[in-house]
Amino acid sequence: MEIEQVFSSKPRLKILKLIYTLGQLNVSDIGRRININYTSTTGHIKILESEGILELRTYGRVRMYRFSGSKKAQAVAGLIEAWENQSQ
Amino acid sequence: MTSSHSVFRDESKLDINYIPAKLPHREREQRLLAEFFSFLLQYPGRMSQRVILTGDVGTGKTALAQTFGTELANQTKRKTLKFRYIHINCREFRGSLQPILHQTVTAFRANYPARGYAADEILSTLLQVLDEEETTLIITLDEFDSLIEKEGSDAVYKLTRIHETRQGKPQRLSFIFIMRDLKAIEQLDDSAKSTLQRNIIRLDRYGKSQLIDILNDRINLAFTIGAVAEDVVDLVAELAHSETGNARFGIELLWRAGKYADASELSHVRAECIRNAISAVLPTLRRSELVSLGFHEKLFLLAIARYFKENKEEAYVPISEAEKAYGIVCEEYAELPKSHTQVWLYVQYLSKIGALKAEVVSTETRGRANRISLPSIPAVELEQTMQISLQEAKGEL
Repeated sequence: MEIEQVFSSKPRLKILKLIYTLGQLNVSDIGRRININYTSTTGHIKILESEGILELRTYGRVRMYRFSGSKKAQAVAGLIEAWENQSQ
Repeated sequence: MTSSHSVFRDESKLDINYIPAKLPHREREQRLLAEFFSFLLQYPGRMSQRVILTGDVGTGKTALAQTFGTELANQTKRKTLKFRYIHINCREFRGSLQPILHQTVTAFRANYPARGYAADEILSTLLQVLDEEETTLIITLDEFDSLIEKEGSDAVYKLTRIHETRQGKPQRLSFIFIMRDLKAIEQLDDSAKSTLQRNIIRLDRYGKSQLIDILNDRINLAFTIGAVAEDVVDLVAELAHSETGNARFGIELLWRAGKYADASELSHVRAECIRNAISAVLPTLRRSELVSLGFHEKLFLLAIARYFKENKEEAYVPISEAEKAYGIVCEEYAELPKSHTQVWLYVQYLSKIGALKAEVVSTETRGRANRISLPSIPAVELEQTMQISLQEAKGEL
């Protein structure tokens, strides 16, 4: 997927910001916090996961997403950090 | 903040949650506890440990464990070892294993879902997380009796035998169990019992002279110089000694007496302040016990206190009236009142811990009725205590 496609979605950016701020979260929690339904949340997360930005950690039945260690993930985290620090 | 003429220098040093840097007259027990865990610190993951701390109220069990935890954190920082110490009071979770384990996991994974997962699942998540982080965890389960009472042998077995299901993997979980007495263990079946009865550290009641040392230690930290005279310390120690050598009781008494001194704008704590304090200390329900009550239990107690404050002649309140009073208090605190069944559960619990007395009486015309009394706590005192406690709880929300 092209970069403009990945970042053209407001919910996806919200998800990234949320996970950057809170660390690991499960899908229901993410959906609840940014106020979108489970199916949409899963869809957005799948895209971010397939791009290697997020990764899944499974603890029994609990599935939590976090930033992967990839270059893309580091770059996104860096972008959010710079953005958030600037806006403070 | 304390005002300029206060007898206190830092009253937080008298708080029940304050962990003192040193524990007078518990040096031997401290050494013993450290000894039990020394192998674990040397060779993390090679073995797990279980230690029971037992002793009467106010003999320093919690302080001993917490001081050990602080020392452990310092040591591991110096040696860059991966150790964590977590202290949990089981009574705050009504002795239920699931929320206790959830609390533990959230120390590592803050957003782990609170509902929908059984204790077993959370326990294996905990071990998975510890493996991921290559960390050894020591959990202190304070008031462990309440967990035994609520969950029985299965829970104890699960906790203490967890490593047997992980043959060949590092042993990452160790426990300190804190119990007032060991009788609760008798209820367990033999296999659960055998996992517990190995390393037991008994904390004897403090003697009067030991109490004087402990009180002086805290006075130096909490009060201004010369604010508490020697004979006053002696009086407090005497009272704490008669209360089964309860150091916490003595410390609480000092704090309260300090408050009386401040209210009377005195430059020091007089013996009279201690006498005032002792008469105001709730005989059956101490501040420390109130901390662990739920928000609605506190609301209910406040309602009862107000009922008896307004109806001075009455010794009993029917449960229906008590519920009405509770409804009014809920409105004041912008809370939805809990159902009748839930309220009845509160009444039973509060009755069990001695905060109130609930009884069923037969009436001639209408069968049986439930009624509540406050046999040992002055309503005004209870009202004040609950109001402060609720305010604090609201502040934390």
